[in-house]
Amino acid sequence: MKHPMFALYAMMLIGGASWLDYKGYSFSSVNQTRTDPRSVRDNPGAYRPIYSGYHRYSGGK
Amino acid sequence: MAAAPVVPQVKSLICPNCGGTVTLRGYAQSLNVVCEHCTSVLDARTPTLSVIQQFQAKQKIQPLIPLGSRGTLHGVVFEHIGFQVRAIVVEGVAYRWTEYLLYNPYHGYRYLSEYEGHWNDIKTIQSLPKVAQAARPSAVVGGRAYKHFQSAVANTVYVMGEFPWQVRVGESVNTSDFVSPPFMLSSEKTQGETVWSIGEYTPGSVIWSAFKLQGAAPAPRGVFSNQPNPHPGTVGSIWKAFVMWAALMLFALIAMGVVRRTETVFQQNYTFANSGQSVAVPFSGQKTKTADAAFVTPVFDLKGQTSNVKVEISTNLTNDWANFSFALINEQTGDTYDFGKEVSYYSGSDSDGSWTEGDRKASVTIPSVPPGRYYLRVEPEMDDENAARRLTGSGMSYTLTVKQGAGNAIYFLPAFFLLLIPPILSSMRVMKFENERWSESDYGSQFGTSSSSGGSDD
Repeated sequence: MKHPMFALYAMMLIGGASWLDYKGYSFSSVNQTRTDPRSVRDNPGAYRPIYSGYHRYSGGK
Repeated sequence: MAAAPVVPQVKSLICPNCGGTVTLRGYAQSLNVVCEHCTSVLDARTPTLSVIQQFQAKQKIQPLIPLGSRGTLHGVVFEHIGFQVRAIVVEGVAYRWTEYLLYNPYHGYRYLSEYEGHWNDIKTIQSLPKVAQAARPSAVVGGRAYKHFQSAVANTVYVMGEFPWQVRVGESVNTSDFVSPPFMLSSEKTQGETVWSIGEYTPGSVIWSAFKLQGAAPAPRGVFSNQPNPHPGTVGSIWKAFVMWAALMLFALIAMGVVRRTETVFQQNYTFANSGQSVAVPFSGQKTKTADAAFVTPVFDLKGQTSNVKVEISTNLTNDWANFSFALINEQTGDTYDFGKEVSYYSGSDSDGSWTEGDRKASVTIPSVPPGRYYLRVEPEMDDENAARRLTGSGMSYTLTVKQGAGNAIYFLPAFFLLLIPPILSSMRVMKFENERWSESDYGSQFGTSSSSGGSDD
C-alpha cells in the first residue's frame, strides 16, 4: 500500500461515518430526563417541555 | 598479474607573465591554461606558454572543488582541471553559476555545474536532438522529450585551470535549455558551432562524497530548472487511492442502507385547527378525535435492541411556521427524551423571480433508545397572527411518523469532503513546486504566458 497514512485516515472516516449512520446520531438537541408517564398521559398540558417556545422565525424573505 | 593502474602525471611550467608555476593536467588535449596566480590565459600548445589574454579579476574566486581534485563519478576517476564562472543578465540582474571541467585521459571530459547549491552532472552528446519550434519549443533526444525552459546569452566572467577550447574571459554564447527532470538538454551556440549536452540533476552530497570534500555541500536554495519534483509520483497514486476509498465509502453507504432495518412504529395525521385544538385523523379509518393543544399519542412498541428513533413531521405549511415540542416517554420506566423541532415554509415572488424558503418536512433523530413501550407527548405551536386565516378552514395538517432503526447517512457527506483533503493538499504541493520551477523560465509559470526571468546553469 503506497499511502498507509491516507489508508488509515480513509478507514477512520468510513468507519466513523458508518458508525454514526448506524447509531443515527444527529445534532438535534435531545434532553434525557425522567418523568411520571401516567401523570403526563392523564394531563399532557401540565408537562413542561424544555424545548417549548423555541421558535425563532416569524416571516419569509 | 593485473597491470598497475595508470596514474596521470601533471606537468609544471612557468607563467611568462608573473613567473608563477602553471600546472598542466590535461596533456595535449588542453588548448588554453589559466595561470592561477595572475589569471592570464596562456596558450598551452606553446612550450613557453605564450600569453593570449590578461584580465584583472576583481577578486579571486575559489572553486568549491579545488583544482586538481580527483573524484569518482559513474565508476570513473575524474580530475578537476578547469573552472569557470559564467553569467547571464536578465532585466539588469546578473545570474552567475560555476562550471567545473573534469578530465580522464581514457574517458574524456565531463562537467559539473553549480547554481545556488544545485548541481548538474553534464556530458556532451553527439546525436542531434529534434527540436520542434513552436510558441513553446520542445526537443526530443534519446527517446526523451524536453520542454524549452530558457534561452539566454551567457558570458564567461572568470576562468581558472586549463581547457580544451579557446577560453576567453568575456566570450559569449547563445544558450538554450530544455528540461525533463531530472535531465536538462542544453545547447551552446557560437559562430558556426552548436554543442549539445545533457545534464542530470545531482545532489550536492553526491559530489561531496565523490570528491571527498570536507564539510557538507551548501544547501540548495529555491527550485532549480531540472530539479526532480519530490512529490510527482505521490499525486497520481494518491488520487487513485482516493477513487478507491471513495468507492468503498459509497459501498459502505449502500451497505448501511441494506443492513439497517428501519421500521415504522407509529404514524398518524393531525390537524392544528386553532386556539389550542389539534384534531387527530387515524390512518386506519378509525374515528377522528379531538385533543388538547398538548396531547399524547397512542402507545407504540420499540422492539429488539437499543436503537435510534426518528420522529418525522410532514406538514402542509404555506408562508407559516409551526413549532413542535416533543417528549418521547417510556410508559414503563418514565425515561423521557425531550426535544423540539421548528418547521417553516415560505414562498413568493419578487423582482428576482419566485423564491421559497424552508421546508414543510423536518425530522429529529434520537440515538440509543432502549426497547420498550413508548408514547409521544406533542405540543404544537403556531403564530397567533395567522389564527384568523386558520379559522377560515385552512388549518395546518401534519403527519407524525416514528421510525425505529433509522440511520443518518448525512455523515457520509462530510466524510467524503474530508477524504478529499489529502489528495488536494498533495496536488497543491506539487503545483507550488512546479510553479516555483517555471517562474524562473522564459514562460513565467507552468500555465502562464511568456515573460523573461531567472538564471541558467550552462
